[in-house]
Amino acid sequence: MAQVFPYTYYSCPCVESSSTKPNAVQSAPQEAAPFLEDEEENTFDPRSPRANFSLYPIEHLLYCTDCHQIRCPRCMVEEVVCWYCPNCLFEVPSSTVRSDGNRCTRNCYNCPICTSILSISSLEKPTEGLTPNDAASDAAKAPGGPYFLSCPFCQWSSLEIGIQFEKHFNLTSQLQKIIRGDTHRLGSVTDLASPRGEEMEGEIQGRASVASVEDTAPLPIQGDTETLFTNLYNFYRAQLSELSDANPYSLSSDYSFASPSSITRLMNLYGSGGRTKKDRPKPIREAAEFSEGQKVSNPLSEKENIDRIRSVGWEGTASVEQRLQQCREDVGFVDELRPLATLLRTKKSKRCKICRQILSRPESKVSTNRYKIKLLALNNIPKITMRSLNAQPAQHPSFPMQATAPGSDEASTLKPLVPTHFLLTITNPLFDSIKVTLATPSTTPGCVKSKVTILCPQFDVGANTDVWDEALSSATDRSSKRQSQMLSAGPDGGSLTGIQAEAGKVWERGRNWTSIVVEVAPGSLPDSIGHVTLGDDAQGDGGAALDEDEDVLEIPIFVRLEYETEAGGDDGGAAHARKEDAGKEKREEAFWAVLGVGRIAG
Amino acid sequence: MATAASSTPDYFTRKVSTGRIRPTLSGIQNASSPHTPFNRSLSSFYNSPSSGFRNDDENNVVIELGSRFMRIGMAGEALPRCIMSFGPDDHHRVGDYRQWMPGYNTRRKRKRGEEWGQDHELWRNDVRELDLGLVEDKLERAARKADGEVLMLDDRKKRLTVILASVIARPLLSVTLSTLFNIFQAPSITILPSPIACAASSGLRSALVLDIGWAESTATAIYEYREICQRRSVRAARTISEAMAELLDEECTAQAKGPIEVSFEEAEEVLTRLAWCKGNGDDRREDESQDAPQTILLPLPPSEPSTTLEINFSRFSEPAETAFFGENGDISSYDAHDLSLSRLLYNALLALPVDVRKVCMARIVITGGVSNIPGIKARVIEELKLLVKCRGWDPIRNYGKATKRANSNPRERNDNTAVRLESNVTESSDTDDGTAEESNELHQPAVAAAFVPQEQDPILERLAERAAKQAPPTVEGRIRAVETLGAWAGGSLMAALRIKGVVEVERESFLQHGLAGASKEKEVSSKAAQRQSLGPGARSAGAERASWTLGIWA
Repeated sequence: MAQVFPYTYYSCPCVESSSTKPNAVQSAPQEAAPFLEDEEENTFDPRSPRANFSLYPIEHLLYCTDCHQIRCPRCMVEEVVCWYCPNCLFEVPSSTVRSDGNRCTRNCYNCPICTSILSISSLEKPTEGLTPNDAASDAAKAPGGPYFLSCPFCQWSSLEIGIQFEKHFNLTSQLQKIIRGDTHRLGSVTDLASPRGEEMEGEIQGRASVASVEDTAPLPIQGDTETLFTNLYNFYRAQLSELSDANPYSLSSDYSFASPSSITRLMNLYGSGGRTKKDRPKPIREAAEFSEGQKVSNPLSEKENIDRIRSVGWEGTASVEQRLQQCREDVGFVDELRPLATLLRTKKSKRCKICRQILSRPESKVSTNRYKIKLLALNNIPKITMRSLNAQPAQHPSFPMQATAPGSDEASTLKPLVPTHFLLTITNPLFDSIKVTLATPSTTPGCVKSKVTILCPQFDVGANTDVWDEALSSATDRSSKRQSQMLSAGPDGGSLTGIQAEAGKVWERGRNWTSIVVEVAPGSLPDSIGHVTLGDDAQGDGGAALDEDEDVLEIPIFVRLEYETEAGGDDGGAAHARKEDAGKEKREEAFWAVLGVGRIAG
Repeated sequence: MATAASSTPDYFTRKVSTGRIRPTLSGIQNASSPHTPFNRSLSSFYNSPSSGFRNDDENNVVIELGSRFMRIGMAGEALPRCIMSFGPDDHHRVGDYRQWMPGYNTRRKRKRGEEWGQDHELWRNDVRELDLGLVEDKLERAARKADGEVLMLDDRKKRLTVILASVIARPLLSVTLSTLFNIFQAPSITILPSPIACAASSGLRSALVLDIGWAESTATAIYEYREICQRRSVRAARTISEAMAELLDEECTAQAKGPIEVSFEEAEEVLTRLAWCKGNGDDRREDESQDAPQTILLPLPPSEPSTTLEINFSRFSEPAETAFFGENGDISSYDAHDLSLSRLLYNALLALPVDVRKVCMARIVITGGVSNIPGIKARVIEELKLLVKCRGWDPIRNYGKATKRANSNPRERNDNTAVRLESNVTESSDTDDGTAEESNELHQPAVAAAFVPQEQDPILERLAERAAKQAPPTVEGRIRAVETLGAWAGGSLMAALRIKGVVEVERESFLQHGLAGASKEKEVSSKAAQRQSLGPGARSAGAERASWTLGIWA
């Protein structure tokens, strides 16, 4: 995994409810579902392809205090609070987003080759590069003359595709003009998401004067997707309006009692005699020429393209990624790529999908990163961490940052078939003490079967009371305990491995955290293809029969919490919270977590 | 189209002639006279008229779903706002940023038991082996990402148009609908078949759409916006991508760069960038001659000291050759689903009635991601022309013992068919097939009689005149290819023009009953629903959409 090694993923329980199949579908074989049928219990399988979609680091999860459940991005509803450009940090009003699309309409452009932000430079003094922001602020000082966009990272410049600007502001409209007027020379297709919306708006407004729109449209240049689309759109609209004019019973127009067509129709129905089927609408005709949106294929253009590929070679053709970024699949060459206006970003507020409670709400100003509401899972769900028992210096559980990377190789590489002890620490963020029950399948699912034993599956974790308590007392407490344990380990080298972890006993306990020991005996890797006989034939070369990440030891753990808390008046999900005496209620929560322990050595 | 156009004489002129309605009324109704515009109407029964102008108040989202990519954007735009792929890099866990790590190896081995490119697919139509939950997960993530990061829509009502292949497994359809309802919270989803969307985006009413998809190529004949015939072949993007990988493997070993198993991504990259397709027959030779040993230098990132492969440019046309056109050996030895693209088109055309064929053959639309490989469209059309030239429109491939007879005069037979198509004379195709050699001689003048100018038919003439007045002359009876903007653009057009789809699924009823709630009738047309709701049963307007259909997906 890309995460450094001891890592913890939480499984959002929403996957169970959402994986209920839509009715009327015959059940397909569900072998790969993350919940294996294991006698009567379901065991979470972190290896199943579906598990990737339901596991989250705890930092990505929110917590609904009404439903008392973890909320992952799947079970949240998002609402946009504001739009802004990540480059110039200008907020974009929603009306602009609607009309001009989802890209920055100011001067922010991304490099079509490497996607970094382009800067505006003057042709006069090419050394003086200006970022768009600078250009906006000290416009007076800016050097004159034609400007161009250049990429500080890959040295691409808009001069390569023959684009330069007269002014250093309002690039979007300039670029639009250039591309439209210049299509013929530059290649096949125009782009730019931003002007598109505007264009459409204009067309919709100029609905009555279809003909005039057609006249003002740019010259029909063969091969221009945008022009073709516009022509087609205008053609269809003209045809449809003709249709609705000629025939009041047209199907395309809106109908209601107030429209003249409906009245005529009702008159016909209740008036003289029944209508016959004579009024079938004349069908709209098909487009006949380029100005109407039809384009007959030209085999010669394909020939040209072939010759062009031959001459420009590998470097001159656009890569798949670049093509996808342009959203045009018919772009073939690097010099047909256009700078892309920067995609806007949003701040979003999130709601619980079930009870619609707001889970997080940022402040609407772009420049602040504060939140008005933020219900993090981190503050409501015990944090589970795991580390090797014998490799570490003492680590403070509330201060997990370390100077050395914990996932360094020697620590996270596991020897097969050698039982290793790990320390599982559960930290309680709640203000009530919790009772934790852990469960895990005795062998991990997947191709490499490791044995896992939780030595103490049931224990209590103290409440998250006053931080100062711990700061003052627990550190000394804990170290003294460890010291005593180390001493009790005996004189034989004082190695930590000598400390016996006792079954059913807690290893260490702090103010709001408890550590227990988990014994893991990693399974052995299949050393050649022949050893893996899991029904499917192993392919691949050189004995590496394992798929990516199959040698990672991941332990699924089922965590169940019980605690008593004040019965809050805000409690909406009281269904499963049994009332106890005097406003106390008992809650329980359960979820699966996956602990990534390390990579098994081959 | 011709039939529809000619058989509907102008409604009002007919009315006037019968005189059943007062002429004044018909005068008012005349299209040219001033009148209240019809499109100014209410959007609902109880709203004020002004609400009719606020139709733009919804977000009109168009989604095209294929087995490899999802295109998503706003209606009325020429290009989708984003194209999502379903590669393995898109399916890591949240918080797993390994693909951005510097040492991340993009070379990925194929997983055990996986077919070529399987981990890049959203789904496959064979649902027996498919984990529908996984499909749902993938689709859900892609759609959520597109919605949240690219579309960034405000909280206005959303209208969803989904473009799907016209044949799709029901479980997949169901999963798609439920996921999209779930994510976009749209009140209803309109589903359009992609061939029809393609035809619409090329401005045609009838077409023969060849969609070179990922798993299969389909040739769909569309007549008056209706699918009437479909033929499919497994020669599609997957075949050509595998062929390209083989070619690269071969070159690697040949140039002693070591046996490198080319990954799917590399093969696809080379395929999209460099693949091309030769023309037919003679210009192949021409290519060879003018093609001086011109080679392409191909960087090969996977090999440790990064090297380059030097490959002859003409080799990059081989995958297309083998994947789409290669027909060595007898055609009868080929599987029915393994037809070359041109033959697929030919078979589709052959299965059509003559009148439809003459329209469709002049409107061949080639689409699909691989069709962007330069040369493919031209080649398909060329080969199709050749096939038609050699074989005519004779559905019988092999006459067996009668071979000699049937082939004795192919030239004449072709002329015959051509004439038949042009003159639109319905002549049974076996007039001169079952006859003996001598009688053939005798029939010769009879055939020639077809060239004799026809008798003047005043009625037909007048009909033709009227038809010509209404519509520009249509091209028919010759093979011609028409460009399309793609299925997504077609859907975008239709959604922007607010064309009501036949298949419109309401959220509530779908979530309640699933696909089983659809009525069995293939065509619950919006026409019927409208009539009822405005007729005596106007009270039942609320239940207007109570019955919905899955149309061709039923």
